Order: sequence, then structure tokens, then C-alpha cells
Amino acid sequence: MDRKTYREAFDQIPFSADFQERTANLLRQRARESEKENKMTHFSKTKKMAVSLAAAVALLIVSVSAALVWLTPSQVAERNEMPLLAEAFAGPDAIIIDETVETGDFAVTLMGLVSGEHLDVLNQDLDSARTYTVLSFRRLDGEPLDNETFDFTGYTITPLVAGCSPAAVNNWTLGAFASGFAENGAYYYLLDTESIEMFADRTVYMAFYDGGVPKNTIFTVNEDGTIDFCGDFTGVQALFELPLDPAKADPAAVEAFLEENDTGWTNERTPMEDYVTTEEETPDGSLITIRSADSPETKVAFTPVSREVE
Amino acid sequence: MVSFGTDEIISRIVERYSPMLLHLAAARLDSPADAEDAVQEVFLKLLTARPAFRDAEHEKAWLIRATLHRASDIRRGAERRNLPLEEAAEPAVQEDALDLLSAVRALPDKYSAVIHLYYYEGYSIKEIAKTLGLPTATVGTRLARGRERLRQLLKEDV
Repeated sequence: MDRKTYREAFDQIPFSADFQERTANLLRQRARESEKENKMTHFSKTKKMAVSLAAAVALLIVSVSAALVWLTPSQVAERNEMPLLAEAFAGPDAIIIDETVETGDFAVTLMGLVSGEHLDVLNQDLDSARTYTVLSFRRLDGEPLDNETFDFTGYTITPLVAGCSPAAVNNWTLGAFASGFAENGAYYYLLDTESIEMFADRTVYMAFYDGGVPKNTIFTVNEDGTIDFCGDFTGVQALFELPLDPAKADPAAVEAFLEENDTGWTNERTPMEDYVTTEEETPDGSLITIRSADSPETKVAFTPVSREVE
Repeated sequence: MVSFGTDEIISRIVERYSPMLLHLAAARLDSPADAEDAVQEVFLKLLTARPAFRDAEHEKAWLIRATLHRASDIRRGAERRNLPLEEAAEPAVQEDALDLLSAVRALPDKYSAVIHLYYYEGYSIKEIAKTLGLPTATVGTRLARGRERLRQLLKEDV
């Protein structure tokens, strides 16, 4: 069988000619209904605010409702169309953490994680297990986060391991797949990585912060191997220690993993004043060249590529 | 970030992804009507859940995964209730093509997804791995095993 034969067979399936038109109309109708509902909700909230209640009572009501509306990790998995994972989060292997760190204007809650094979219908024959972590993020002033304005890509949630370079064990080396959505004013992240249980005999962290790939302007590795955020890193930051079962550690797998991924780490930063940066506009975008001030040899050159969502 | 609720975005998403998602769902479901239901539900899910995407590739990967999940759910639901799925209404399909469609639908979920993305969408193993969030080696294994199963089902060289 070749691709042509396969395509020809599937192209013969008689789908409705009006499917796209019908579907687009249905979605437009639902979008309008949803917009109307949102306006009504907003209106009724405004009306409610006009009714004067004692501030303490109002605060109490708000916190009780907030406690009622947060999703559980299982519900977050359901929203991501992962029913097997939803079941796992409700089962005995799930580690429910529910620990909150307040950082800047935000509260970051590590809700829980679960590791195992067969938790996603697409991963059913994986030789190795995956770890799924759920984290929520919300503003402390109660201002809701929403899908339209919240910049999902601006933050990173990643495992880190004491005694291992943050450049060696992180989302990028653990084959992560992150997704997120806003609901009831909070933003929920679901992170899917290779299983982190192999590191369970070490201190394993889940870090959440403002930024991208772990680097030494964000993290510092202490002499004893523990990891902290740099003292001068001012972005949103939360570092959670994970209560993994040390019996599940696999030192041989860790050794093999590090052999493949460890490129070293230094807390020492290269002073930028020693470098000269030039920027040149090209048809494909800006070409940025960074070279050492005392050497004409180019150290780094790259062209940023636009990643706009159409 | 773009709001999915606007008319323009709805038209773009439906137009761009419908053909791909319908064929993907049809690799699991016998009836074109069931496949259309699955894809419509996925679009509705996108409208209500409004997940944020890093880029267009992430958006596509989400839609592919959601469609595979939804099609599997519909299929499993029918099997659990011991009900036949809606009868396929594919009179326009030639017999050889019908044999192939039936064989692909008889594959376990994990194989058919990879087989379909490889043969219909023309994705490379690496691209499938990225889309499904699977290690490349796993995709390669699934492709090889899926081909072998198809060969047995079709009794011909795949």
C-alpha cells in the first residue's frame, strides 16, 4: 500500500457537502449565545455589587464561592479530553498536593500529579511512563484571567532535580507537552512529560516562572546541589518540592538520561558588556549577531522567526 | 491571542481543519455521519474550552488529539452498550477502497492514528511524534506494527 492508494480510498468517503457551512453556522450561533450569557452574568454581578453588604460578609461569600469553583486535577484532565487521565487523578496513584505560593500579584497552586503508563489513549503502548502535572494560576486581586488576554507562552512550568543541572533535566529534555485554558478566572496548566519518578530518590521540584528555558539568570545551583531562583530574578516564581516515593527511583535510568542530556551548568554569568550586539533587518526578520568585544569572531547569530498565530 | 468566537476565526478554523479532522475521525468510525458528529463536537469543545495555543502547530496538534479522543469515545461507547455503530452509508466507495477503510478501522486506536497521519496527511515519523506528544521511536514502532496488522487484514503487501 502506498500513500496514493490510501488517500484515494479515504477521499471516496461521502461526507456531507454542507458540513463546513453547517458547522460554522452552529459555532457562530453558540458563540453569540455564549457572549450573551457572559453579558448577563456581568450584568447580574454588577447588580449584586450595588446591594450593600457588610464588607466582611461579602469577603466570606467570595472566598466560599472561590473554593467551590476551582477545578480539581481530574476535571482539568476532563477538559483536556483525557478521560483515562481524569480517572487516574481520582485514583490511588495520584499525588494531590494543593500547595499555593503567592508571588507578585499572583497565586500559583500546584494541584497534583500522577505518573504511569496508559493514561492517555494515544500513549497506550508507550514503553515508558509519563508524568502529568496540573497547576493553577490566578491573580490575587481577584481580577479574572482569560484565554483572550492571558499569555500562556510567557510562563514555564517544568520539573527540576537537585544534583542535576537545570539545563539537563527540564521540559525540553523530558519531551514535554503543555496545554492550558482559563476557567472561572483561573488559568490551568496540564504538563505532560516523561516520567519523573526515576529521580524520586533525589529532591525533585516543579518550578513555575516568568520566562523560558532554564538558565543561570533564573536559577542558581547551590553547593549541595539544591536549586533556587536567583536572588535578582524578579519575575513570577514558585518552586515546589514533590513528595515522590523514593522506592520508585531508577538510578540506572537517571544515569543514562544524564549521559544523553547533561551539558553542564555554571552559576557564573558572562558579563554582557564584553559582547557587542548588532541588529540588521533582513527580508526574513532581524538578524542579530553577538560577538566578543575583543574578537571579530562571531559567537552567536540567529534570525528570529515569527510565530504569530494566524 | 486570537479569540475563537469571532466569525472570521470560526470560518478559518472550520475551513482549514475540517477535511483533515473528518478523514481522521473516519479512520475510527464507519459512518461518515458519526465522523461529522465527532468533528463538530471537537470544534464546539474548542469554542467552549478556549485553550491557549503556543502557535498554529500547537493548535493543530490539539485538534488532532481531541478528534482521536472523541472518535474513540464514540466507538467505545457503542461497544460498551453493545450497540452497532450507525451503518456506514458509503455507496460511492469502491470495493477495494471499502476493504482498506474497514481494515484501518479494525486497527487498535494507537496504530490507526499513526497510520492515518502517515499515509493520508503525509506526515513524517518525527512530525507525528511531535503532534501526538510521543517519542519518535514509539511512532516508528506503531507504524511498523500497524502496517503488519494491515497486511494481515488485507492479505496483501502493504
